[in-house]
Amino acid sequence: MDISKIDGDKQVEIRFFGSLKRLAEEKGWLFPCLYQLDEECSAVKLAEMMGIPADQIEGAFINGIGKPIDTVQVRPGDRVGFVPYGIPGPYRVLLGFHKKYGNK
Amino acid sequence: MGTLLRVNMTTGEVQKEAVPEAYSGLGGRAFTSKVVRNEVNPTCNPLGQNNKLVISPGMLAGTRAPSSGRLSVGAKSPLTGTIKEANAGGTTAQKLASLDINGIIVEGKPVDDTFYLLLINEEGCSLIPADDYKGKGTYELSELLRAKYGSHIGVMQIGPAGEMKLAGAGIANNDPEGNSSRYAGRGGLGAVMGSKGLKAIIIDTQKINSSEVANSDTFNAAAKKFAKILLDHPVCGQGLPSYGTNVLMNIINEAGALPTKNFRKGRFDKANEIGGEKLAEVAVQRGGKATHACHSGCVMRCSNIYPLPDGKVCAPVEYESAWALGAHCEIGDLDDVAMLNYICNDTGLDTIEAGGTLGILMDAGVIPWGDGKAAIKALEEVALGTPLGRIIGNGALYAAKAYGVTRVGTVKGQHMPAYDPRGAKGIGVTYATSTMGADHTAGYCITANILKVGGFTDPLKKEGQVDLSRNLQIATAAIDSSGLCLFVAFAVLDNPEGLPTIVEMLNAKYGISLSVDDVIKLGQQVLRDEREFNARAGLAKEHDRLPEFFIEESFNPHGTKFDVTDDELDSIYNF
Repeated sequence: MDISKIDGDKQVEIRFFGSLKRLAEEKGWLFPCLYQLDEECSAVKLAEMMGIPADQIEGAFINGIGKPIDTVQVRPGDRVGFVPYGIPGPYRVLLGFHKKYGNK
Repeated sequence: MGTLLRVNMTTGEVQKEAVPEAYSGLGGRAFTSKVVRNEVNPTCNPLGQNNKLVISPGMLAGTRAPSSGRLSVGAKSPLTGTIKEANAGGTTAQKLASLDINGIIVEGKPVDDTFYLLLINEEGCSLIPADDYKGKGTYELSELLRAKYGSHIGVMQIGPAGEMKLAGAGIANNDPEGNSSRYAGRGGLGAVMGSKGLKAIIIDTQKINSSEVANSDTFNAAAKKFAKILLDHPVCGQGLPSYGTNVLMNIINEAGALPTKNFRKGRFDKANEIGGEKLAEVAVQRGGKATHACHSGCVMRCSNIYPLPDGKVCAPVEYESAWALGAHCEIGDLDDVAMLNYICNDTGLDTIEAGGTLGILMDAGVIPWGDGKAAIKALEEVALGTPLGRIIGNGALYAAKAYGVTRVGTVKGQHMPAYDPRGAKGIGVTYATSTMGADHTAGYCITANILKVGGFTDPLKKEGQVDLSRNLQIATAAIDSSGLCLFVAFAVLDNPEGLPTIVEMLNAKYGISLSVDDVIKLGQQVLRDEREFNARAGLAKEHDRLPEFFIEESFNPHGTKFDVTDDELDSIYNF
């Protein structure tokens, strides 16, 4: 995406973490990257618009608050962080983005 | 079943005895805390002859249970004045358990300044004079001992910091490659070992999973099932082996809970430069490894091998160390962080306490903020025993007093690890109330479906945090006793078969019939033993508090303060 063409009021600042970072880099996304978002959408939809499969994402931070990805919306101007499954620590629960994962 | 070694450093006698009834069936933290509670005068001088250093492999160590090679080391802490259990990976737990040793109790102290090695092998155990090894860093001593006794040995050792009885000193265990980097780090137990005149303990056996199992068919089936539970879970099967714990750097930063510049901010603008993704990339480019097991049989492989530009190798660089030596000090160069980590390993220092202390020196104006090279130069003084080095080696609170710094993130004298309590209030409750001082691993384990902690607990609100911390601390005390790595908890959280399978393994090993509730009761009893000791040592509820600046000062980016009340904190042990 050509950053110079992004409307400052309609951008979201996005970071992909862990294994998602490598996936994002393969698609040409920087860390962090700016993305034009004209109107509110779900975090799932945003990830998919950026070419990152939502089923690889456990949680999303929106302006520093983490929740399971399928529960949050993103608005223009937000800061977003996408967290893959596989992050260690009780922080998945303590920080709020834990999604129960069944066995494969 | 099992034996106990009593090592009297005053008389030089080593006695092997059957495990007495009071300690029967216990291992790991359950064992060390019971012994310290029963046998150590809570008001003793932690560096005097009446303290005891207690070492115990976890209950499943030395078996084929996956990720089961954890070791507990306990004593009265010279840093906190409380009971202490420090938990480490590496090879020593498996070897001790394979020799049927449930515990080692080191008591007394030499009448002179002589240092000794304790050599344990299949024939017996003996104390060997070791003054030739005085002053040696842990990497050099590992090489010398492996050359002398063989590369198969397990080694527990102290560096110069422990010899000097500095309160920030830890005890190193070696990994399978001989790196002296798996630390029983927190609380100054290296100083206790140094006060006993013990430079190293060598476990000379090739055995690593020869621990006696009562019902091996049942055990093996349960162990296989548990391995699958771990490997099928993305944390254990993908996340930890890919990036290790340092993947948390960017995530905790995103949450705004990454303590930066001595707890002034919740985000560090160079977090990405010292995070797990960058570390994995550089490690592999330089011929190191992004994944590595600290002991044989670990399926999670969360460690790494990070080559430094000068040829040294730091294995691993973990999240807590990268935070303490990095973001806390605003150091954004990964090689500087890794070098600081290496120096800590070699000198025998707890990286969290060392990093916390460097931050105090920066606040005092002794070292510039963010200056990795200056921090390296200062840290090197610890091994030299200079006055500055001794200040650094004695921890953050000691340094703060020396330099008149009032902003110091310690509880019961121990520096906080890598999460700001205003950004994750549940962690703050654990820091305040843990029997160990500010300790992240005390409340590290979650078994929501067992402990019935359900739903979402907002980290920025105080509601639910006391219950969450209580349950974490109980479950962690149980896991610390089992020999299993705390990281098995992620799979256990999401799989209802997880904890019952752990209980199956315990029952098959010992020929007993525990239930899941029994495991919870074990965790509760461990905490009761520890609380009782602390109370007799003179600690009261007033010590279960955070430093006042966390309560008075709001913290960006979320503008929060720690607002869990004293009464709420005091309710945590109502079980």
